[in-house]
Amino acid sequence: MPREQLLSKVFLEVADSLVADFDVLEFLQQFAEHCTELLDVAAAGILLGDEKGHLQLLAASDEHTRLLEVFASQSGQGPCVDCYLSGRPRIHIDLTDPDVTLPWPQFTTGARAIGFTVVNAFPLRLRERVIGALGLFQTQPGHLSDEDVLLAQALADMATIGILQQRTLAHNEVERSQLQYALTSRIILEQVKGILAERWQVSVDEAFNVLRAYARAHNQRLTQLALAITTGTFDTDQIPHTAPSPTL
Amino acid sequence: MISESMTKVLCFLEEDDSAGGVDAAAAAGAAALDVSGLAVSLTATESGLEPVACSSDTARSFEDAQFTLGEGPGVNAARTGTVVCVGDLTNERPDRWPLLLRELMGLRVRSVFCFPMALGAIRIGVLSATRHTASRFTPEQMDDSLALAAALTTRYLATMDEVPDHADALDFPESLEHAVIHQATGMVSVQLELPLSQALLRLRAHAYSTGRPITDMAHDIVNRRLRLSPTGDSTPPSLPVKD
Repeated sequence: MPREQLLSKVFLEVADSLVADFDVLEFLQQFAEHCTELLDVAAAGILLGDEKGHLQLLAASDEHTRLLEVFASQSGQGPCVDCYLSGRPRIHIDLTDPDVTLPWPQFTTGARAIGFTVVNAFPLRLRERVIGALGLFQTQPGHLSDEDVLLAQALADMATIGILQQRTLAHNEVERSQLQYALTSRIILEQVKGILAERWQVSVDEAFNVLRAYARAHNQRLTQLALAITTGTFDTDQIPHTAPSPTL
Repeated sequence: MISESMTKVLCFLEEDDSAGGVDAAAAAGAAALDVSGLAVSLTATESGLEPVACSSDTARSFEDAQFTLGEGPGVNAARTGTVVCVGDLTNERPDRWPLLLRELMGLRVRSVFCFPMALGAIRIGVLSATRHTASRFTPEQMDDSLALAAALTTRYLATMDEVPDHADALDFPESLEHAVIHQATGMVSVQLELPLSQALLRLRAHAYSTGRPITDMAHDIVNRRLRLSPTGDSTPPSLPVKD
């Protein structure tokens, strides 16, 4: 898809986030995927600060567990944390340069292990505060162009809008509640990946892909579907899956 | 970010595992949040929310009213897993909590702030703050309350532990934030036919008894290198109850 067209699609999806029936995780996952295409990076992740100021992963462009772990290792260290704390973008961070990566040994090891060589981090800004960061990971050397950097910050701002749903921006209480709900939903999703992986005897990554495909095909909201699975109110046999069922 | 006074309450909760610890934390938490009442209620299977610690009579009677009537902001927070803040109960739609709102005069509660105690789909109760006047929470008070609710969640999850000799294991490691632990929890819950809350405890107990980091163990479970066995002390599936 040409860039302009893709960008229009992103705008439409952000606008959709302002209507009532909206799933923040679903939106952000798609959004992260778009970021990788628009900016030609290998992976993108959206991280939110929790009440203690630790960064938590909310959504990633792909849900491979190893990638999620790299993001998780950033709760305390890494370029995204620096960006979150300073409120400034950290761009073109070269992970192959030991001088640069000195402060983040754990993060660097994990990121290098899956082939990332360059990281860029942009703040999710809300008025004078910073609520999280957008992390962009490259496997190829090469810098984002000036234009890309502007676009990346604009995308980070759009993610903020999606997360907070503009109409409620007036109340701080509501902001924090929504951030909290988004983080809780993220944990539910991980728990459900495990449940499905075991029921179907597939990997957690596969379980997620099947679940998401089902939610999309049936116009169901991912978070609600996940919650219904944990409470046992949704029969997961309704979801077609290819792997053989375990003999019971 | 967390205020200094709430940080003290959190440290206290971490160190004190006595029976009265939660009562003391509720009282200190109420002072830190500048509220007239702070209450902790746990989700019980049949009866809804049951108050287990209240900092004042106001908090107690508000919790009791919700418990008796089966409705209210705390009930909503526990059921939906979302924070429920009501700045002025007298402005609330009468049909939102028809029974409770009728009792308001006697309860002397004007604003209420309810925070679910949960870890993903594991929902164990709710922390509620009440004030006599119409009011809002500042961002710092929101963060303080969320942190206190999280600390109480950790504490109650630990005390639900049915495997003995883990009294020193009250605190969850920081790594509990890792996706793989939640995935492993889901897998163990299916393997051992346990609720998620108990599956997590099983996971944790195994980590402690083998002396391995819980994250490593969770990786092994997710990659199917390790499978926990339903040991002799396995209990029938049940929802979290207070100790």
